[in-house]
Amino acid sequence: MKIKVCGLKYSKNIKELLQLPIDYAGFIFYPKSPRYVGDEFDTEIPALFPKNTRKVGVFVNEELDVLLATGEKYKLNAMQLHGGESAEYCQKVKEAGFEVIKAFQMNDNFQFESLEEYENICDFFLFDTKTENYGGSGRKFNWKLLENYKGSIPFFLSGGIGAQDAEQIKQLSHDKFYALDLNSGFELQPAKKNANQLEIFLNKLELNTMNKDKYAVDERGYYGEFGGAYIPELLRKNVDELQENYLKILASEQFKKDYARLLDNYVGRPTPLTKAGNLSKRYGTNIYLKREDLTHTGAHKINNTIGQILLAKYMGKKRIIAETGAGQHGVATATVCALFGLECVVYMGALDVKRQAPNVARMKMLGAKVVPAISGNQTLKDATNEAIRDWIANPESFYLIGSVVGPHPYPDLVTRLQSIISEEIREQLAKETGNPNPNYVIACVGGGSNAAGAFYHYLNEKDVNLVAVEASGLGVDSGETAATITIGDIGFIHGSKTMLMQDEDGQITEPYSISAGLDYPGVGPLHAHLAVSGRAQFLSATDEEALNAAKVLAESEGIIPALESSHALAILEKMQFKKDDVVVVNLSGRGDKDMETYMKHFA
Amino acid sequence: MNRIDQLFQNKQKDILSIYFPAGYPKLEDTLPTLQLLQDKGVDLVEIGIPFSDPLADGPVIQSAAKQALDNGMSLQLLFNQLKDVRKSITIPLILMGYWNTVYKFGVDAFLTECQNVGIDGVILPDLPLEEYQEEYKEKFEAAGVHNVLLVTPQTTDKRLTIIEKAASGFLYMVSTAATTGGALQASKEREAYFKKIAGLDIPSLIGFGIHDKTSFQHAASFSNGAIIGTAFIKALEKGNAAEFLESLQ
Ligand SMILES: Cc1ncc(COP(=O)(O)O)c(C=O)c1O
Repeated sequence: MKIKVCGLKYSKNIKELLQLPIDYAGFIFYPKSPRYVGDEFDTEIPALFPKNTRKVGVFVNEELDVLLATGEKYKLNAMQLHGGESAEYCQKVKEAGFEVIKAFQMNDNFQFESLEEYENICDFFLFDTKTENYGGSGRKFNWKLLENYKGSIPFFLSGGIGAQDAEQIKQLSHDKFYALDLNSGFELQPAKKNANQLEIFLNKLELNTMNKDKYAVDERGYYGEFGGAYIPELLRKNVDELQENYLKILASEQFKKDYARLLDNYVGRPTPLTKAGNLSKRYGTNIYLKREDLTHTGAHKINNTIGQILLAKYMGKKRIIAETGAGQHGVATATVCALFGLECVVYMGALDVKRQAPNVARMKMLGAKVVPAISGNQTLKDATNEAIRDWIANPESFYLIGSVVGPHPYPDLVTRLQSIISEEIREQLAKETGNPNPNYVIACVGGGSNAAGAFYHYLNEKDVNLVAVEASGLGVDSGETAATITIGDIGFIHGSKTMLMQDEDGQITEPYSISAGLDYPGVGPLHAHLAVSGRAQFLSATDEEALNAAKVLAESEGIIPALESSHALAILEKMQFKKDDVVVVNLSGRGDKDMETYMKHFA
Repeated sequence: MNRIDQLFQNKQKDILSIYFPAGYPKLEDTLPTLQLLQDKGVDLVEIGIPFSDPLADGPVIQSAAKQALDNGMSLQLLFNQLKDVRKSITIPLILMGYWNTVYKFGVDAFLTECQNVGIDGVILPDLPLEEYQEEYKEKFEAAGVHNVLLVTPQTTDKRLTIIEKAASGFLYMVSTAATTGGALQASKEREAYFKKIAGLDIPSLIGFGIHDKTSFQHAASFSNGAIIGTAFIKALEKGNAAEFLESLQ
């Protein structure tokens, strides 16, 4: 159940409401309403709400161009049409890019057949109590009437709902019941909401667990049942220090300014969103590539290292520890350490040091110390163990982790830093197609950072299908695979409760993939949650399929992708798209580092 | 009465605790080693459950754990080996391991096995206190298994108060900011930390970096005793475990 709070006006009052799980914020632009926002309503006020709260303008029989201009001026997402607007009028509003909520006035004589002509046009209906003055009466209608609504469009329930109605609302079982519209029942005076009363009411509805951003981390670092900080007491102080500081620093003006500046003039952001014409033809749909391959150092990893190095700087840290598998995160870390003049120690599995010589050379040239991890199987998992052990022994150092893994707050920290990817996709798509939401976002998953960044701003957008692609190596059942979600089960790795690959005795098993960046036996806890809750679809691609996809992209678009990203591309072959679908593939990195592998296979 | 509680009731000074991984150096060495330890007058034993990714351990314990795993050691096998341990071993026994292994085994099954074979406590360094208290404390208490908690020089006073309240059996006082196997260096701050913990109402043993008679006596002078792991494993490896234990007397 979604919550709309309607008839808002005052910025001070709105600030009191920001902690509540409000999905839709309604502003009334009908001059005769006692909650009319007024002629000189400040454009900043609707913007007080976070992005994932939809802003709704309420109008009654307004001139179309006035309505559209108002929508543009206040950056409204949805239009609630509360008068006698025709289907044709709704259609025009819809075409202008707004969600349409068409309101209808209920009484015992209401003809539900009259809704039919609106069915294919509107996003939602809103059922209000019939009055002389288009709602706002403070009275409820007979909710039994809803049983006569058999249409397919979800509806908002409105009209005189008050604190006393919680129980009755919980009993409502109509399958198209979508949202509650709250207004006069929770007011101190017209347009001034009673935040306390609203909070108590919403608690009664148990929305805090049901409805609050289900994909955001909670205070203790859990996404649903996954995450947390399963660390020895030896790390407690380090992790606490980070937990206490990261949100404060990320929210500070100084950080935001420095981070934005570096992303712009050092990393090279925004990265383009390229329409892949030939690929689109090949798959009979509309494919866009988010070009993380064009960042400095050649992969999305730098978005994270730039952010974390600033965090380290503000926390007064002088020595940076990192782990790396393929060496991409190691290079990105060595790069920012050079930029900021900080000591850099990178742990890398001894086997990977041999396999990824060019990246080892890059790290060294950038002034980093590369320490081969000789424990365990000498790959990424062991490098991570060594980095954590270093951090235990050197609590003054900053551990700069490379993906959305590790103890809280790392998964959330890295997700936030990578969320720039979907922030840009939204803006770029809105410009390109008029709609910020694609039908699909596809990304490869090792630890899950590029996928988390590409998904982030779409997590609560139900119409966007999120597709995560794991590396299945020689095949999911071959025993030589890195498809953690597909074959793993619940466990604990590197301080986090998540899905992982382990044997019956709880020993963590060694993954395999041709792509060193996807070769990790765990996965970030956000992804475990997205998989278990069904919000994202987890698929996998084999070595072979990824290699083929790399070749297809190179030959059809003139872009050589990283082997990791090739796994995301490989899934295009296996999915069915409609002609009008908009499909975004996150091209997480470029293929330079993989040329040796490509040469071996395509020679 | 739990054997750990009994031990601390009867003995307050120079308690010697030894750590070694199960199934090391040979798969069937677990019981003979326990017998040796008891015969040589060791007060308390921590049996390590081998794990593939022991985050808090240094290179010696890591590679011993790996060897034990390569030998075929597992948690179930350990319980099988310990089935009749209480026929001969009377000193308190603690299992030390990582949370993933216990979780995967099943917490209820694990505690049942502990009760069956006569395990007195566990040390699970990566199970957070909050999660333990909310979800597992009652079960552990019902099974009569102490969950021994760690404190470190970095533990803040505020957190120490919480840990003291939650502690059972004794406190594992980590000597230094390091993984296992380092050398203990004496310093003013370290002694102040030892004294602070020793002043609490619960007994404590010092571990990490204790490797010979001198460092044992030094540590034991600030607490109820100390724990030796890495140095004993090295002795096992060399085949002179008995001599090493004698050298501590
Ligand atoms: C280009 C590229 N893509 C993807 C990944 C996988 O990491 P994540 O799942 O954190 O995005 C890596 C890791 O090294 C990488 O280099």
